[in-house]
Amino acid sequence: MTHCSPDPLFLMLTLLSMFYYICLRRRSRSGTRGEALTSRRAVESGQRATLPISVEVEQYAKEVLDFSSHYGSENSMSYTMWNLAGMPNVYPSSGDFTQTAVFRAYGTWWEQCVSAPLPFRRTPKAFHSQDYIELAFEEPVYPTAVEVLETYHPGAIVQIMACSLNPFSQNPPTDVRWEVLWAEEPTKVLTPQARQFSPSIKQLSFPTNLIRVEVNSSLLKYYTELDAVVLRGQKERPILSLYKMPRIDICDLSDSDEELSDPGVSFRQAGDGKHINLGNGYFDKLPYELIQLIVSHLTLPDLCRLTQTCKLLHQHCCDPLQYIQLSLQPYWARLSDTSLGHLQGRCTLLQRLNLSWTGNRGALTLTGFSSFMKACGGSLVCLELSCCHFLSEPCLEVISQTCPGLQELNLSSCDRLHPQAFTHISKLTRLRRLVLYRTKIEQTAMLSILTFCIELRHLNLGSCVMIEDYDVVASMLAVRCRSLRSLDLWRCRNLTERGLAELAAGCRLLEELDLGWCSTLQSSSGCFQHLARNLQCLRKLFLTANRTVCDSDIEELAANCPALQHLDILGTRMVSSSSLRKLLQACPKLLLLDVSFCAQVDARIVQELCGLFPNVAIKKSFTQ
Amino acid sequence: MFSVLSYGRLVTRAVIGGLSQTDSRDYSLVTARCGFGKDFRKGILKKGMCYGDDACFIARHRSADVLGVADGVGGWRDYGVDPSQFSGTLMKTCERLVKEGRFVPSNPVGVLTSSYYELLQNKVPLLGSSTACIVVLDRQSHRLHTANLGDSGFLVVRGGEVVHHSDEQQHYFNTPFQLSIAPPEAEGAVLSDSPDAADSSSFDVQLGDIILTATDGLFDNMPEHMILQELKKLKKTNYESIQQTARSIAEQAHVLAYDPNYMSPFAQFACDNGLNVRGNDYHFFMRVEIGDKAEVVLISVHWLHSCPASGRMTPREE
Repeated sequence: MTHCSPDPLFLMLTLLSMFYYICLRRRSRSGTRGEALTSRRAVESGQRATLPISVEVEQYAKEVLDFSSHYGSENSMSYTMWNLAGMPNVYPSSGDFTQTAVFRAYGTWWEQCVSAPLPFRRTPKAFHSQDYIELAFEEPVYPTAVEVLETYHPGAIVQIMACSLNPFSQNPPTDVRWEVLWAEEPTKVLTPQARQFSPSIKQLSFPTNLIRVEVNSSLLKYYTELDAVVLRGQKERPILSLYKMPRIDICDLSDSDEELSDPGVSFRQAGDGKHINLGNGYFDKLPYELIQLIVSHLTLPDLCRLTQTCKLLHQHCCDPLQYIQLSLQPYWARLSDTSLGHLQGRCTLLQRLNLSWTGNRGALTLTGFSSFMKACGGSLVCLELSCCHFLSEPCLEVISQTCPGLQELNLSSCDRLHPQAFTHISKLTRLRRLVLYRTKIEQTAMLSILTFCIELRHLNLGSCVMIEDYDVVASMLAVRCRSLRSLDLWRCRNLTERGLAELAAGCRLLEELDLGWCSTLQSSSGCFQHLARNLQCLRKLFLTANRTVCDSDIEELAANCPALQHLDILGTRMVSSSSLRKLLQACPKLLLLDVSFCAQVDARIVQELCGLFPNVAIKKSFTQ
Repeated sequence: MFSVLSYGRLVTRAVIGGLSQTDSRDYSLVTARCGFGKDFRKGILKKGMCYGDDACFIARHRSADVLGVADGVGGWRDYGVDPSQFSGTLMKTCERLVKEGRFVPSNPVGVLTSSYYELLQNKVPLLGSSTACIVVLDRQSHRLHTANLGDSGFLVVRGGEVVHHSDEQQHYFNTPFQLSIAPPEAEGAVLSDSPDAADSSSFDVQLGDIILTATDGLFDNMPEHMILQELKKLKKTNYESIQQTARSIAEQAHVLAYDPNYMSPFAQFACDNGLNVRGNDYHFFMRVEIGDKAEVVLISVHWLHSCPASGRMTPREE
């Protein structure tokens, strides 16, 4: 028998290889992708020594999945929502920087505009959200903390939610749950300085890597800017310790996970309305209209719960008169085809419908939506479909067929909607308000809409990047839509003085005009002066980042537009304080004046003007 | 027997793992910076990667390393505009674009175009102009993609010989092609070239190649043979020797710039054209790719240029 003595060289080789192999594997395992920051701190569970140590993971967002609006341009990095992913670029500095995520609006200025939609009745008091952004992180964790790094005018965040769905998974589950981690009403934050916002969040029973942040900027003095979001959590399910019992909020009860559903038992309509003692107590003595009035104050979930109590209240709560206005936006997380199906029977008199933010990730489908629209679209006057990514061309076709009387249509940020879908809008000839912000509508469809929808009063074409020639669009507006009151051409980059001149000549009733970041307009052509002379009813004019705006333009505005309330001339070097003084004196109704990055208007001048004209909010942004 | 078998398996695995690692040839980037500020003190880094009116960046994204240099046009100073703001912002924006992957490695002109577009999206009204040179090293395909607008440029040296070099783009003497943003009142009077006007090229590189990118300062003061001479001295592939070589080139060029008797290529050309040119800021960057680790070194220097006709130095006022 041969004696196997290990060859020393072979032994050394294997030892070295093992060592190398172990090092390689460790390096590849701990090497994380891209922007994810992974720090591993052993956090002891703090109870018994035999319990496993839970590891806390800290991550920056990997990807921005969805959002409702942003300040920046669609193919750019500056001031866009995509900046919220990854590591912070600005924090802890404060200021107005390009590397942050900025929403489209702030304060109440946009709500004061004529183009603003009327608020919906029955909006729950706890629903404050105006904008949202959804972020995906690398690893699902049980969150222990969510930190938002706000770098300018903080305080906009009103709700943080987590989803059970892993957006990177190949086989998404059918049931998608959203849980509110934290919610509060908007509070005033006095300082514009940067801060790290980390509210105490609820414990979750499922791991998550999809976080949704909802904001409300109405109390802020200027645009809020966010730099990064950090998600801290544990990979293993934490042991629910008694002293960490989540607070049961009263608001939670009203927004609980109950579905909006029918009781399941069908009731026949009650008889002739006589005072029959049906065993409903005092309710039998009250007139029908009074109970209707009482019930009209309930929020939608309460209304649906009330239907299940007794026949009388069921009759009241299912009365179509209670469903003249229906806002399902606050319940976007729970709305599905089934819910729409249950509501269908009651919505035959529906006039205003808000489905904004609903239906994403398969919650609503064409079938459910069409069925609802066919049942309820007949009297529909206003339809809000902002950020409805479930929409497809057939959906728009259904709308055009079932809602002949539609006057208001909002397709804001429906950026996944195929350009072909917009051709159906031209069939809605009674349209007065059309919002196409951040959609992919093309020139032909736009011109077709303008040809037929001649009653347009409010048109929003902000960031519609697929329209090639805005001069043609402006020209068409001037000819066909002469009752136009407000026009949003934010970032419409190829509008020239020709188009603007025609617009000013044709749409004399224009009160609001947003020409922010329209870089092709040159003041030297006289286009702004011509504008001022023609549009004497002008209340809002945004000339944001038009570097050519000069003193003569301001003086012309002062001379011709006494109704001016909002003016934005950010970023011009050519406007001096003297012309601003003239404007402020000539326009007594002025409420908002944005002179950020205007080289000749420094902080001292702003202070002086604020003192002289206390009713005007003069905005001057800074980059520190 | 069993233990030997298991060791065997581990060994095979390790070896295969090792092979695949070297197959992907992950190059590493080593940067060394040596800066000469206006006050001639060594090693002063003004505003990060900004030296005088010039700026640079290095960034990496997945399989591409991107290097860039921008030479701010000094003439803006006469109009009260800081020339370094434009070049600095341009390079920082290019860096951000690369880090976020908003570029195609084989299209470096795209980096310039996107970056210029981003400058226009800034709320702050930027003014100024600069040349730009972008070099993208695709680590996997071992190709170098370059884009050059203006009179900055690059050299690729292999075995002591220049195998690739960029061409200067000039409108007329000392007026290179440049990206610019002009104030509205000067619109039309200010030279502004489109990023599409940049020259681009694409070629293979080999291990052992030396890539040198520089603004006009190097090429205007140091003829090619002198640069090659210095590079020949580079024997070892470690960081220190690369740093040393770069430094010696920088110092040599520095000395030549101040030598009132030395007729640099630029001075020669200037005098031929009968011009008495005032001092500008020049600096250069050197990137060296050597050995199986392909280290790249970034050196930047800037100094003042003297006009040999007067024999005096004409320092720039700050």
